[in-house]
Amino acid sequence: MWRELWTLAARAARGSCRLCTRQSSGAPAFGSGATIFALSSGQGRCGIAVIRTSGPASSHALQSLTAPRDLPPARSASLRLLSDPHTGEPLDRALVLWFPGPQSFTGEDCVEFHVHGGPAVVSGVLQALGSVPGLRPAEAGEFTRRAFAHGKLSLTEVEGLADLIHAETEAQRRQALRQLDGELGQLCHSWAETLTKALAHVEAYIDFGEDDNLEEGVLEQADSQVQGLVVSLDAHLRDARRGQRLRSGAHVVVTGPPNAGKSSLVNLLSQKPVSIVSPEPGTTRDVLEIPVDLAGFPALLSDTAGLREGVGPVEQEGVRRARERLEQADLILAVLDASDLASPSSCSFLDTVVALLGAQSQRLLLVLNKSDLLPSAGLGPGPNLPPHLLLSCLTREGLDGLLEALKKELAVVCGDPSTGPPLLTRARHRHHLQGCLDALGHYKQTRDLALAAEALRIARRHLTHLTGGGGTEEVLDIIFRDFCVGK
Amino acid sequence: MFSFRRCGHRVAISLTKQYLPFAGLSRDSAAPCSPHFDVVVVGGGHAGTEAAAAAARCGSRTLLLTHRVDTIGEARQMSCNPSFGGIGKGHLMREVDALDGLCSRICDQSGVHYKVLNRRKGPAVWGLRAQIDRKLYKQNMQKEILNTPLLTVREGAVEDLILAEPEPEHTGKCRVSGVVLVDGSTVYAESVILTTGTFLRGMIVIGLEMHPAGRLGDQPSMGLAQTLERLGFVVGRLKTGTPPRIAKETINFSILNKQTPDNPSIPFSFVNETVWIKPEDQLPCYLTHTNPRVDKIVLENLHLNSHVKETTRGPRYCPSIESKVLRFPNRVHQVWLEPEGMDSDLIYPQGLSVTLPAELQEKMIMCIRGLENAKMTQPGYGVQYDYLDPRQITPSLETHLVQRLFFAGQINGTTGYEEAAAQGVIAGINASLRVSRKPPFIVSRTEGYIGVLIDDLTTLGTCEPYRMFTSRVEFRLSLRPDNADSRLTFRGYKEAGCVSQQRYERASWMKSSLEEGISVLKSIEFSSSKWKKLIPQASISTARSLPVRALDVLKYEEVDMELLAKAIPESLKKYTKCRELAERLKIEATYESVVIHQLQEIKEVQRDEALQLPKDLDYLTIRDVSLSHEVREKLHFSRPQTIGAASRIPGVTPAAIINLLRFVKTTQQRQGAMNKLPQTDEYLRDTDKLQEREL
Repeated sequence: MWRELWTLAARAARGSCRLCTRQSSGAPAFGSGATIFALSSGQGRCGIAVIRTSGPASSHALQSLTAPRDLPPARSASLRLLSDPHTGEPLDRALVLWFPGPQSFTGEDCVEFHVHGGPAVVSGVLQALGSVPGLRPAEAGEFTRRAFAHGKLSLTEVEGLADLIHAETEAQRRQALRQLDGELGQLCHSWAETLTKALAHVEAYIDFGEDDNLEEGVLEQADSQVQGLVVSLDAHLRDARRGQRLRSGAHVVVTGPPNAGKSSLVNLLSQKPVSIVSPEPGTTRDVLEIPVDLAGFPALLSDTAGLREGVGPVEQEGVRRARERLEQADLILAVLDASDLASPSSCSFLDTVVALLGAQSQRLLLVLNKSDLLPSAGLGPGPNLPPHLLLSCLTREGLDGLLEALKKELAVVCGDPSTGPPLLTRARHRHHLQGCLDALGHYKQTRDLALAAEALRIARRHLTHLTGGGGTEEVLDIIFRDFCVGK
Repeated sequence: MFSFRRCGHRVAISLTKQYLPFAGLSRDSAAPCSPHFDVVVVGGGHAGTEAAAAAARCGSRTLLLTHRVDTIGEARQMSCNPSFGGIGKGHLMREVDALDGLCSRICDQSGVHYKVLNRRKGPAVWGLRAQIDRKLYKQNMQKEILNTPLLTVREGAVEDLILAEPEPEHTGKCRVSGVVLVDGSTVYAESVILTTGTFLRGMIVIGLEMHPAGRLGDQPSMGLAQTLERLGFVVGRLKTGTPPRIAKETINFSILNKQTPDNPSIPFSFVNETVWIKPEDQLPCYLTHTNPRVDKIVLENLHLNSHVKETTRGPRYCPSIESKVLRFPNRVHQVWLEPEGMDSDLIYPQGLSVTLPAELQEKMIMCIRGLENAKMTQPGYGVQYDYLDPRQITPSLETHLVQRLFFAGQINGTTGYEEAAAQGVIAGINASLRVSRKPPFIVSRTEGYIGVLIDDLTTLGTCEPYRMFTSRVEFRLSLRPDNADSRLTFRGYKEAGCVSQQRYERASWMKSSLEEGISVLKSIEFSSSKWKKLIPQASISTARSLPVRALDVLKYEEVDMELLAKAIPESLKKYTKCRELAERLKIEATYESVVIHQLQEIKEVQRDEALQLPKDLDYLTIRDVSLSHEVREKLHFSRPQTIGAASRIPGVTPAAIINLLRFVKTTQQRQGAMNKLPQTDEYLRDTDKLQEREL
């Protein structure tokens, strides 16, 4: 059974807490024994999606999904029927390519699955891969990093790697924020908290159980906490409802001071009256979401409350939600009233919000609306403006320019495979929750306490991969808070 | 000149020759009357004795400077408990022993109460521990130290360091070339190890009284502390404490819980089959508890207790009875009554560390069950002392600032004998290797608790006295007390030369016997129903139809080698003849599958650790790397030696790591190209090799 547990360990997160020293920076190891997989084509509209694996278990993964056929000839495309290795349920008829290392992109054994791009197919294949022993979802930039580790990238090619990883990490952070925003996120956090506490208590029992007087029942308490976790994880994984639905597409958030015409822009872009528009500031108070097609890319357009202070509680909440939404955005459309640039609300918006978002290197398009109200000479000698687009929602003047700019930005955002098609995020989520659950099962089975604690460590590693954190110091803090130990 | 972010006082002034006593004085121009050694060790506590002996074992002419020869082997403050080992600490003892260190062997000659803690929790977390006879330990340690070849011991207090121009091929502002004693005499040295414990500006606190912690009539070394500060070392302050001592004959043991020692005793040292004092001759320990009356005395007299009020960082754990009462009120706390030795009439009440005024301590003691008529022979007290931020030293324990200057023990912010001894051995080995211009001997955190200890200290620093816990260790199931020799002895023998031939051969025999035993156990396969017949005691599941290996059967809790050998005597009998071998085979079986997978992870970590960062990298100014200012400062202060260590510094991002990696690779290739310009073929092959090794 320990063999199984350790397969789980190998599948467990390798990132932030692989070496659980305090809050480590989370740089994953270079090169690795584990086999990773990811959707490597972008999330823009495409007929074919490419899913890639790298690592020693690649051939096994290929054979598991196409069983019982032999490996196809190296480096040539073959048509195969993919099916789930556990249920036998057919997934898709796909082109598969087998690249034995070292002649592959990463230098390791690699497999590519070219599947039909529908979300159900991609999600099915990702989930099937996640259930193959030895496979886990790739970390940000991990394919490239492996290629680098195996000398497959020249130094000039690597120039952009750090930026790429930075971007991917950022994208994943935003994706995780979106997901952790809701009920599911709160669940994960509470699970991680319970598990860390149970682990701390078991660790305390190991390190201090004989010398210091811990209260009675420390282990029993940990056992019952673990039992509770098992029940709720199991229920969650069985629940067919997926909870908060994650929508596909780039998240585009429209923001600006009150009455700049944000809702008008949303209505214009979505070609239907989604938001109520009125000349009164503060008309939009909640976040309104609408899936749209922007310049050929799937996007989720959010209309938010105008950012201002000192208004009623409902609008305040709307402003808070608006700010939260900004954090999670892939692209921000900042809207200002072109005829009102000198007003305090416009200035403060430019100074604080636009400058701040720029500093956080979030993608942003500054749109000056109501250009129809401008004098024919155009913009006067106003404040020092960053690059911007002029638009009139009323006359539609400047719309083509805006769509062109949107197309450019979205191509970058959607072309990056890790901006997390929610399918992948969901697959990762399930993978880690299942891993956590399996490890907890092993905790209950073992009598050697060092082995039991190891099972909890693995389980926690899975969870903290979804929630962040997870250092040894956190455990020690709980130990010293809950127990009187020390001599 | 330096950028420091930490609390603690410091004087960072620019370092110019006028501040360097004897600056520029190389050893060639040294006065002929001044003695010259390879390694000088300052301090004769646990770190100092291990360091001196290790340096001498490695072949360096070594001088141990201590206040008084007759206190060698004695914790300087007498402040600590008379016991060695424990959970996590026992692991360190085994590792020190695997490197042929002293403390485990000396303990086995001096232990008066042996007990393995965590017996029922799994062999990976067993805690070997023993109460030690203070007098015997001191005698045996002195005998060992005074008879170590190449090791000279001399009395003397060190007041200052002699500094010289730095070696250009290494980083550091200057190089240490000797020490100045209080009497003004000098000793020249190639390497110097400071193990001054709590001696740097140490202050003893009882109640509201406070006085310098030097030996009676002896000021603690202000000169040395000032020199270190002047050099720019960041200094912090920590506190610790000790319980009062109680006269043995005044305790009513008859009403207390008695704890008898293990029989047989498990020795600390791999080279000992048994310990010197037989289990039946060993002494018992007793357990008593505090009560609400103790809490009341503590709480009512907080105003008389400056140690407790002081802001100096104490640990998060509760070393003193005051912190226990304050943080966990209305609870009963354990007090272990531990013997100080075979013929000692003192008892050490572990768990009763206290800094109340003496008369209140006595009153408090007499509230405790069994101690109603107890006589206090010496009050407990607190100690506050300077430590040097350990992020200023490398994993070889050499300082970044001053070449060839090493720090070991409490000076680095640790607490405990074992933590001190572990650092002592590593400092001693590396001071010696430095003299002979060999590469440093570094234990990785994948190889031992020593590695975890030093890596934590040097990359993360510490704000409280650092104590070893097994929960700090990621690869706890692989780094066990039973296998410390196979992890470290061979490296110690080959790379450091600190291990005796005899120990090396013993470890080699054990290793080959284990390997042979495991392969035999793997080769024996029967059906589960046959196993059930052979070993009816074991609850072997017959659900599996595949044949089961003997090694898998040995994993069952109720099966040991003895039982297995009875079932299959012809092939297994021979492995039960050596008790240690039989036990180790059982432990190997228990963790077999886990360890195989942990090895994978260990390899990944080691790959990162093989990626060396240049030592002379100036993180604040390097241009070819894009790093944020915050990351630069962090790297500048901790000076990680490998990509692995850098990635463990909080706040250093994955992107920063990649940038660093790229920088290192570019530098390497440039250097490789320069070294190998003429032979293109060879150059190509060499870079291949380089990549293989580095990645």
